[in-house]
Amino acid sequence: MNVLTLLVEWFSDPAQWTGTAGIPARLGEHVYYSLLGLLLSTAIAVPVGLITGHTGVGGFLTTSLANFARALPTIGVLFLIVLLAGIGLVPVVCALVALAVPPILVNTHEGVRGVDPRLRDAALGMGMRGREVLFKLELPVATPLILLGMRTAAVQVVATATIAAYVGVGGLGRYIVDGQARQDLSMLLGGSVLVVALAVVTTLLFAGLRRLLVAPGLRAEAAAAR
Amino acid sequence: MITFEGAAKIYPDGTVAVAHLDLTVESGRTTVFVGPSGSGKTTSLRMINRMVEPTHGTIRVDGVDIRDQDPALLRRSIGYVIQQAGLFPHRTILDNIATVPMLLGWRRGKARARAAELMELVGLEPAQAKRYPHQLSGGQQQRVGVARALAADPPILLMDEPFSAVDPVVRTSLQDELLRLQQELHKTIVFVTHDIDEAVRLGDRIAVYRPGGELAQYDTPERLLAEPVDEFVESFVGYDRGVRRLSFFPASELSLRQDVVFDAEDRVERARDAVVSDGEPWALVVDERRAPLGWVGARQLTEAPAGVTLGSLELAPFGHVFHVANDSLRAALDAAVLSPAGRAVGVDTDGSVLGVVSQADLGTAIWSVSE
Repeated sequence: MNVLTLLVEWFSDPAQWTGTAGIPARLGEHVYYSLLGLLLSTAIAVPVGLITGHTGVGGFLTTSLANFARALPTIGVLFLIVLLAGIGLVPVVCALVALAVPPILVNTHEGVRGVDPRLRDAALGMGMRGREVLFKLELPVATPLILLGMRTAAVQVVATATIAAYVGVGGLGRYIVDGQARQDLSMLLGGSVLVVALAVVTTLLFAGLRRLLVAPGLRAEAAAAR
Repeated sequence: MITFEGAAKIYPDGTVAVAHLDLTVESGRTTVFVGPSGSGKTTSLRMINRMVEPTHGTIRVDGVDIRDQDPALLRRSIGYVIQQAGLFPHRTILDNIATVPMLLGWRRGKARARAAELMELVGLEPAQAKRYPHQLSGGQQQRVGVARALAADPPILLMDEPFSAVDPVVRTSLQDELLRLQQELHKTIVFVTHDIDEAVRLGDRIAVYRPGGELAQYDTPERLLAEPVDEFVESFVGYDRGVRRLSFFPASELSLRQDVVFDAEDRVERARDAVVSDGEPWALVVDERRAPLGWVGARQLTEAPAGVTLGSLELAPFGHVFHVANDSLRAALDAAVLSPAGRAVGVDTDGSVLGVVSQADLGTAIWSVSE
């Protein structure tokens, strides 16, 4: 009850909703870093995954690298890059990309690899060329798995973008870091609730994206297989 | 016309898929490659559209060496049907069928109109156009597979065990459908199966493969059943080949007896005079439209009181009938074997009786065609 009152008080303070330290500004920063990290990761991981999945070349290397990257402590990456490149947006986005590339890459690779070989045989037998097989068959069929990888990555990115506060570039992490420093429980809680809410919204957005991008035949097939 | 000239596929590790193949597939006919698994029949088929490249020899389609053509373009000009159809799960039925026309650069509207025509041709409901493959039964999916292969109207159709994953009833209807389509379209069909019955049913010519990728015999189905070249082929076609071969001879050549067929209104004396005095053990009773009612035995006729009509006697079931105009000797023999009277009832297309034939008479007919 105590916690709830604290939260309500914190959120209902009008000062919270204006200025550069207000919730809209912080939320905006957080979303911006997260989106930047996710889009960059997608731009790297999806093409690489498609190529390794389609050709079968470099598959082992990719998955090994991805698993290695998964083991990297994000905060370590952050400070390492801060040391190399200085404080700012670059280390934050680099850390987020290191976090987000592995799930997207692995899912894209496996999604393309996992296409039924009989479908590939039919595609080639009908006279599709390699590129046509990739874009007319493998990519659409792998889309559900690619989106799943992106969703996992996005939720992790949203949760982890709080580290931006450590290097002084804002975001919702500010509330958590400052709340801890000032022993301000309501601020700490408020910041956490906002991050959790953003993660939930992200998940919902991906559900919508799935409806938009995955062919109905595949959606229903997945539902039937479940 | 497709010709294999010394074609072979030997893998680098020494595995022989096809040892040496000299064979000519005639245009406009159905040629079936049949054999046990691992005998090279599928490899032979896949060499035609370069899904497998031969290591030796030459394959020509209408005189042109297929190696001189771009593989993708070659394949677009040859229909390809595989086991379990291989339909794209993310595309509607209509768009699945339109795949090759779209690859050939047709406009979407034209490709879809063509796909709709083909749905009708293979017996699919227009309502299924917007459905997805997983919503269709195995048999319907296979029809879509055939429609997809025919979409760009290729002169050649390669079918790799297309009906082996569906149940026997559906398989028979798909085979019927293919025979009907082929009568209409006259494609050059190469069909692979491991089922000799399917081969005999569909093929104008049959190539029997033996393990090790060799061609054992290449013949018409009739000659294959009559004169298998060796023990392997004989055992592969099955020991009932003699009976199966009868499916190539029409039942219309049988001479049917009409003197043992009587109306239900006839009195027993009439049948008795005609049948018992003749030494015939059975008479067939028919109704006023000449549809069969059942058999009556000589003993029943002898014992029945005078003046009774045949229809009032207890009749033995007539079993199943054969259609004189369309059925083969095999169907007539089958009907005779299953009949309680040992006689087969031949009917015309409306189901009215044309006459009956005994096993002994059938034997004579079979003897004469086997000569």
